[in-house]
Amino acid sequence: MTASTIRDRHDLIAYLHTAMALEHATIPPYLTAYYSIRSTTNSDAAHIIRVVAVEEMLHLTLAANVLNAIGGEPDLTRRGFVPTYPAYLPDGEDDFTVDLRPFSPDAVDTFCKIERPGEAPRDRARLVPEHDLARPSLVTSPTADGMRFYSIGEFYAEIIEGLEEVASHDPGLFRGDPSRQVGPEYFFSGGGTAIPVFDLDSARRALEFIADQGEGFDAGIHDEAGELAHYYRFRQLQLGRYYEVGDHPDRPSGPHLAIDWHEVYPVKVSARLADYPPDSQIAEVARAFNVEYWSFLGLLTEAFTGQPNLLQDAIWHMFRLRDGINRLVRNPLPGSGGLHAAPTFEMPIGRSTPDGPLVVGEAAAVVTP
Amino acid sequence: MTAPAFEEFLSLSVDLTAFEETDLLGTGLAHQYLAKVRDACGEEVVTALLDAYRAARAEATGDDGRPDPRRLDRALRHRVFSDERLGPVARNVIKLWYAGTWYGLPPEWTDCYGARPAAETSTVTAASYQEGLLWRAIAANPPGAKAPGYGSWAQPPRIDPRYRKGQGHDGTG
Repeated sequence: MTASTIRDRHDLIAYLHTAMALEHATIPPYLTAYYSIRSTTNSDAAHIIRVVAVEEMLHLTLAANVLNAIGGEPDLTRRGFVPTYPAYLPDGEDDFTVDLRPFSPDAVDTFCKIERPGEAPRDRARLVPEHDLARPSLVTSPTADGMRFYSIGEFYAEIIEGLEEVASHDPGLFRGDPSRQVGPEYFFSGGGTAIPVFDLDSARRALEFIADQGEGFDAGIHDEAGELAHYYRFRQLQLGRYYEVGDHPDRPSGPHLAIDWHEVYPVKVSARLADYPPDSQIAEVARAFNVEYWSFLGLLTEAFTGQPNLLQDAIWHMFRLRDGINRLVRNPLPGSGGLHAAPTFEMPIGRSTPDGPLVVGEAAAVVTP
Repeated sequence: MTAPAFEEFLSLSVDLTAFEETDLLGTGLAHQYLAKVRDACGEEVVTALLDAYRAARAEATGDDGRPDPRRLDRALRHRVFSDERLGPVARNVIKLWYAGTWYGLPPEWTDCYGARPAAETSTVTAASYQEGLLWRAIAANPPGAKAPGYGSWAQPPRIDPRYRKGQGHDGTG
């Protein structure tokens, strides 16, 4: 047990911004794998990835609810909110690489690692020094210099303990405008119930829900509601069979999954705009996608800062993003030896302004290490 | 299927549909469409169509190495669309891209040129209806597919400015 890195409301706000960025950061890898699957094939795999991706969107919303509850200001267009891929997540003392990959055994291995954050051994510190500044972790502590968390689970444990601690001496902690909360009336059919956050109890429930839905449960592979944890959903893709209730984690006994690793567009791993031939049509399509994505993040920011009804518009925005990704992955990327194009998710720096056009690729290149 | 034939079919399709290559490849169906035309009309007709297209482009290409849009338009009408054998096939290629369906050619055509399968109307794959360019052209979703999302209909259709009236992409009006 180490000293808390969260002392006050401002520290909590910083942590919850990191939590939102972390939850979002898992979505582009899932979307890339999902849309790389050729339509009408691999429906088992596509379904599993889609369900998890949608639940990550719920997690993002829950993190925004907690941030709003303590008077923070969610902003999905802030600098660095969308990571540069490959991104890095902790796996204990080591880290692992999160790339934007086509559906493949490598992609599934990464998804399993993302969804199964280990608990730090009792005698180990929750925080470990960041070894390599060129590999900035998605769970770097926003308050302890040069330190990152041992796992995503430990990251959330720190926030929950920090909330309890700060709430105990700051009676005004939950001072946020309740009308900003996104409840089930705005977020539905999305892998669970959106929990509005008004106090310590609801904040704890929201964060525990995020942490629990991903990792395996101590008691078994299913939770009390009979829902399979994300880790085990992906494990089914590795093992080739569905779990039945009561199965041993290594021996699912349900129906076999039909997986065809070849029915996939071979998209370039973690493609960048710089990989696209300049002035090509396909580069223009990739840039246009990034602008769409950027404006979508702007829409979510508005939805999370007082206009939750805008989430309805977010739905058709996402369908447009779907069409944009499909168009990209079906196109070969010229000069890449037969690989296909893919969205790069490179965002401009800073806020968008209504007047100035965004120069997405060039601005993003500045932050590329 | 030879790669150059595919590239030429794609280039022909760009000129016939006024959609860009990335849009055509973005349907994921370009290879299937070429195979469909081959199955329906036979290799000989496809080769003749691509030959005529190549000749039309050559005829329209100026000193700068690029086809002049007006001259290409004329050359295509002259060499492809007014040809009794190739014209109906080229029109069918347009319909194939826009509607995702191969429409049967009339008996007069098959009587002259054989290729019986060309007379049969058929879809290419389950995806071809959804991917029809006509939906992109009118900025609508194919009914029953590609759900656009609740309330999306309150937004104006997003039609690429170059397809709007008075902004003919090839300068031919």
